[in-house]
Amino acid sequence: MGCAASVPDKSSGRSGGLNNLENGGPPDAKNLRVKLVLLGDSGVGKSCIVLRFVRGQFDPTSKVTVGASFLSQTIALQDSTTVKFEIWDTAGQERYAALAPLYYRGAAVAVIVYDITSPESFTKAQYWVKELQKHGSPDIVMALVGNKADLQDSREVPAQDGIDYAEKNGMFFIETSAKTADNINQLFQEIAKRLPRPSVPDS
Amino acid sequence: MDSASIQSVTFFDFLDRMRNPASLDLVRSIKSFIVSFSFYTANPENDGKKVQDFFFTMEAAIRDHPLWDGASIEEIDSAMEGLEKYVMTKLFTRTFAPLPEDVKIDQEISEKICLLQTFLRPEHLDIPAVLQNEASWLLAEKELQKINAFKAPREKLLCIMNCCRVINNLLLNASMSENVVLAGADDFLPVLIYVVIKANPPQLHSNLKFIQLYRRQTKLVSEAAYYFTNLVSAKSFIVDLNAKSLSIEEIKFEENMQAARLANKVARVEVSPTTHNIKASRAERGPGPSGRIHDNETNTSGGSSYPYMEAEAGELTVGDVERLLSLYKDVVTKYTGLCRAVRHVPVTKKVPPAPHLEGTDVMLIQPAETSTSMDSQKSFAESFARESKNN
Repeated sequence: MGCAASVPDKSSGRSGGLNNLENGGPPDAKNLRVKLVLLGDSGVGKSCIVLRFVRGQFDPTSKVTVGASFLSQTIALQDSTTVKFEIWDTAGQERYAALAPLYYRGAAVAVIVYDITSPESFTKAQYWVKELQKHGSPDIVMALVGNKADLQDSREVPAQDGIDYAEKNGMFFIETSAKTADNINQLFQEIAKRLPRPSVPDS
Repeated sequence: MDSASIQSVTFFDFLDRMRNPASLDLVRSIKSFIVSFSFYTANPENDGKKVQDFFFTMEAAIRDHPLWDGASIEEIDSAMEGLEKYVMTKLFTRTFAPLPEDVKIDQEISEKICLLQTFLRPEHLDIPAVLQNEASWLLAEKELQKINAFKAPREKLLCIMNCCRVINNLLLNASMSENVVLAGADDFLPVLIYVVIKANPPQLHSNLKFIQLYRRQTKLVSEAAYYFTNLVSAKSFIVDLNAKSLSIEEIKFEENMQAARLANKVARVEVSPTTHNIKASRAERGPGPSGRIHDNETNTSGGSSYPYMEAEAGELTVGDVERLLSLYKDVVTKYTGLCRAVRHVPVTKKVPPAPHLEGTDVMLIQPAETSTSMDSQKSFAESFARESKNN
């Protein structure tokens, strides 16, 4: 089959969110498996950020699942922990907004993306933050991302607005450019650092 | 397909080990579990939990079993895949669409899709022209329509995965050759929804519910879970779909839906008498178009007022002409009456005044797969025997 099927993975068999212990495989606090959901208006470059992240990491032929909307990528942290992100993209068009809960259920991380040249997309991002605060899992790690930072000349959302909003809501904030790859790895490294670590996983 | 043949090998391997006298204890557990199911009435949530708990217990038992001594994680896993297939094939009639409300939801979704099929265009979902690839879509539809050819949750899930992979490839190819930016789920979901509507997969709701409840929980994760969720979400979108869900004027949408309902209704009125002869006609023709009528509880009793529905031209005599003509007039009167009732002029022009044929057409659109679920009525022992032979 032509499409990249996910690499047979011995550690598969954990449910969504952080890899809580299921049957099969030893408990592992050093190798995390994380469900990450991407939210944001259509056209803000959600999938470009992920593609940049996935393709820019290691050897492109390595343990990577490249689909059009589901991707997974493993990163190593300095403390020798590895984090495997399973990235769930969502359709950003308004007509699919009601379906979002199906996707963010059980997610350990939500990355909410807007376009710094589009105030509407920033408003939409705030809508997603509120929705997740109401309906997402309480310990979800949220990141607010202002994308298209390379388009400084057409900027309409000041960086400070993003910083302020994120701070008020206890989120991590970063501006990225999927085009130039600016801050893309930092985004995922930062998220990985903020994940709650199951020191002794209890089943 | 590769993974399918690998799977049949592993299923054979599983059955083989189960025939080994050393596995008697496992076989006993499996049999008593299956028998225990017949003691209670169906309750999907409970049944799902019972089955999942059983899988969990059995996985531990297999791991510690002498027959699997020193087995790798993969070998344990394929034993578990075999177990899932065996157990769920045995329990299929009991666990698949066991409640009348499931049957009803399936029917409602399928009927709504039938209506949408008559007018929905890719543009209504703003699917960009570069992704409008009939050949790819057809392939994806076919994968989805295979879903009732399988009883094992894993295999049903595989149909969904294959459908999504076809769409995925379409998007990836488009992004490489057409120089379009890959838009991820923004493109993927609309195409999937469109494909689902074109395919009208049999018993969509029940299939999704069945996979959700009975696919081993440790396997409904990651990529599989993602694509599964997308189909759940496509279903949910279709169920709630109204004019506001599409790029179409509200008036236009309502007109189209009315027109489609009318065409459906006319078809139904025309074919309804055959329900009375359903057994006879099935015996003669096999599970053909009449299967559709069988599904329709809404059929009103037209009774014997259309006695020529099953007649062949050669059987008619000159004496029949008068009766035939009066019936024809009756039908046309009812038909035009119906059309007037919905006050939809454009459509009355489109529908040819030969409702017989129109009716048959509609029936033929139904995927043939629906009849495979009937197979499940056969004894499990038989199906099991067949499977083991096939492998």
